[in-house]
Amino acid sequence: MRRKLTFGVVALTALATAGVAAAANGGFTPETPHSPNAHNTNTAYYVVLGFTAAIFLLVEGALVYFIWRYRGRNRARTEEGPQLHGQTRLEIGWTVLPVVILAIIGTVIFIELPGISNAPASTNPIRITVVGHQFYWEFEYPNGTRSINELHAPVDQVVDLAVRSGDVVHSWYIPQLGGKIQAIPGRTNHTWFKADSIGTYYGQCAELCGIFHEAMAARVIVTSSADYTTYTSRTAAAALGKTEFTGVCATCHGMQGNGGYGPVISSNAQITDPKTLTPLLRNGNKNMPPVGDTWTPAQIKALTEYAKAHIYKGASTSGG
Amino acid sequence: MAVNTETAYPVTWKNGRVASWLVTVDHKRIGIMYILTALVFFAGGGVAALLMRAQLATPDEHILTKNSYNEVLTFHGTSMIFLVVVPILAGFANYLVPLMIGARDMAFPRLNAFSYWAYLLGGIVLYSGWFASGGGARAGWWSYPTLSEPRYSPGHGQDYWILALHILTISSLAGAINFIVTIQNMRTRGMTWMRMPLFIWAIETYAILLVVVLPALSAGLTMLLLDRRGYTHFFLPNQGGSQVLYQHVFWFFGHPEVYIMVLPVFGMISEIIPVFSRKPIFGYKAVAFSTLGIAFFSLLVWAHHMFTAGLGVGLDSFFMISSMIIAVPTGVKILNWIATTWRGNLRLDTPMLFALGFIALFTMGGLSGIFLAAFPIDWQVNDTYYVVAHLHYVLFGGSIMGIFAGLYYWWPKMFGRMLDERLGKWHFWLTFVGFNLTFLPQHMLGLLGMVRRIYTYHHGGLWEAYNMISTIGSGIMAAGMLVFAVNIWRTQVRHLGERAVNDPWLADTLEWYTTSPPPIYNFDTVPYVTSARPLRDLRRQLAEEPA
Repeated sequence: MRRKLTFGVVALTALATAGVAAAANGGFTPETPHSPNAHNTNTAYYVVLGFTAAIFLLVEGALVYFIWRYRGRNRARTEEGPQLHGQTRLEIGWTVLPVVILAIIGTVIFIELPGISNAPASTNPIRITVVGHQFYWEFEYPNGTRSINELHAPVDQVVDLAVRSGDVVHSWYIPQLGGKIQAIPGRTNHTWFKADSIGTYYGQCAELCGIFHEAMAARVIVTSSADYTTYTSRTAAAALGKTEFTGVCATCHGMQGNGGYGPVISSNAQITDPKTLTPLLRNGNKNMPPVGDTWTPAQIKALTEYAKAHIYKGASTSGG
Repeated sequence: MAVNTETAYPVTWKNGRVASWLVTVDHKRIGIMYILTALVFFAGGGVAALLMRAQLATPDEHILTKNSYNEVLTFHGTSMIFLVVVPILAGFANYLVPLMIGARDMAFPRLNAFSYWAYLLGGIVLYSGWFASGGGARAGWWSYPTLSEPRYSPGHGQDYWILALHILTISSLAGAINFIVTIQNMRTRGMTWMRMPLFIWAIETYAILLVVVLPALSAGLTMLLLDRRGYTHFFLPNQGGSQVLYQHVFWFFGHPEVYIMVLPVFGMISEIIPVFSRKPIFGYKAVAFSTLGIAFFSLLVWAHHMFTAGLGVGLDSFFMISSMIIAVPTGVKILNWIATTWRGNLRLDTPMLFALGFIALFTMGGLSGIFLAAFPIDWQVNDTYYVVAHLHYVLFGGSIMGIFAGLYYWWPKMFGRMLDERLGKWHFWLTFVGFNLTFLPQHMLGLLGMVRRIYTYHHGGLWEAYNMISTIGSGIMAAGMLVFAVNIWRTQVRHLGERAVNDPWLADTLEWYTTSPPPIYNFDTVPYVTSARPLRDLRRQLAEEPA
């Protein structure tokens, strides 16, 4: 009786969950793909899901049925079942059958693989460098422009990403645009996407990279080709100082530089002077990672100018 | 047969009640100390898990700080693996190997005691890390450089972590060698390899795997320690080192470690399922040899933990195929266990419930593993909660459920009293339901893109719903563990547990031939072994003899 009750509770909870989940994408499959690699990954996922779901039902079904069918009930413990020591042909069968199923799954994976790992042939893929830092993503476009945490890309074009890290291991992951690739110090890994529609795709660092691992979010903003050109030629540079402050400094020092995990910087004149700020950005200090070790002088200048205009409040009472 | 030998053979208390445990070289006492210590560490690691689940119950929670969350996740993973599952299995092996093979003790009793004390020391060192300057280790249980290098993990927490693992490695290595020597040389008359209990097969394989892979871990840890304190740069790429080298070294140990944690449990299940089905194991040889097969292939699959490191499609393909091959011997075992229950007289006592629960949950963990072995899918779900769900289905649904089956099964032998069946069933159902509530939704969270090891998240909706269900489930599991604690207290402290006879379950193997608990020297005599089920043979002989 108690067991039936428990089963009932489990079944109800499962139903309720399924109901909530069915209302949205649910999490029963990877997120809606928006790039051919993510799309092919989902196809592979469905194939594996089909086989594993069938195996799951068969095995768990047999288990539950046998438990119900052969439960001891009123029989004494001394009563033995038939003394079967095995059945060679049966056992060979259930050794070979999984081999066959796995071979099929493996074959499907290899069929899908080129569409996942290789970018479609393209005359001019856009090559963007992605650098993982504690605790932000930095992007460098073909024309040398840089942006922070926000990667702009044109729709329907192959984008080749060269993924690197200057400090610890990070992992680049935008679920709707394909799988992850680690950003490993001393190494350049490649991945790609070809976004099929205009929009914003979210992701975050997938490898524990330190205290602000969770804050290492990335957005891929897919726009028309014209907007992309405008962005890389003008907008990105104009917004750089702001995005550097909000995407890099603010993580520890607060959106207004009023301190958080790191000290108050809004009253520290160092943030307005490239000469004094450069060594700090390049080398870090006790608790501060060298967040700007790959930055160009222009990038640092953009930051100090933004800080001078919007963050620095003068060497006030709070010290610094 | 049911002579109570407790009074006839009093334990020598010459060094006092506590001291006799401190100086003991008796494999049974060492085994019990291992198991009880591991249960205490299990509570510690469990509290860490509950803290994480509380932190993740709703978005933007502030129960733990970012730093302490990273400390807690590192501590949880490290202690559950190195202080709980591996040592508790060593405890079972210590207790059971000599009894099951009809031996007087382990081959090297003093080395055995050393293993235990080294284990306890390692545990204390790991816990001491909390008080290290700069806080505890917080680079995760695999502690990848360069995050674990001094530039990014200053302070001494990481050093304590390395030291603790070094000590635990020595402990496991000594224990493993002891098991191998004991099993190879000290089996009783008539116990050929094909008449060995399947648990002994599992322990032999577990020990061999430990001997093969622990040196890799030691090497990796030594290099990391030298990097940290000796100014070397094995893993520092900007000085000519290689981070990927650490990944290879660590996972060459790390993946077989998974099988180290589950093969002995396979062994326990292979003992328990037949006894409670009142049948012999279906396909003894298949189950025994699949253990060896799993161990062999487990040495060839490590880089499936590195599919996102960009090793190239060629290497990834090799490791996908090897990882899929390992599913075959594992599947053979599951099907053999299920076939064992076919047409049996299933006794649904608590050990059997946990064993059947093990099969149900481990199957689930095995199937989700196929998605992870298929590397293009792994690129999508690696390092998300999907993996967290998968590994808990294997390590909790697998190892821990099996360990509880073993605890309920062998408790009467170890302590002379039966654990309470009613509380045992509560324990099982709370654990089983709580476990699925906790970890089933984590598959979905992973597919929704929730990555591992983040201390909070900002999404409401499904993310919040699944996380909340998961946290509620963890609370139900915790309640199950409290029931287990009450059961132990009731049985052993209040002495309300029923006294156990020699062979309460009508089992198959030699440990049930002696008294419960056994005398210090284990056996007066050991019957000549003529099959893999010597005790059943004996029962049949007795039944046939005229009264």
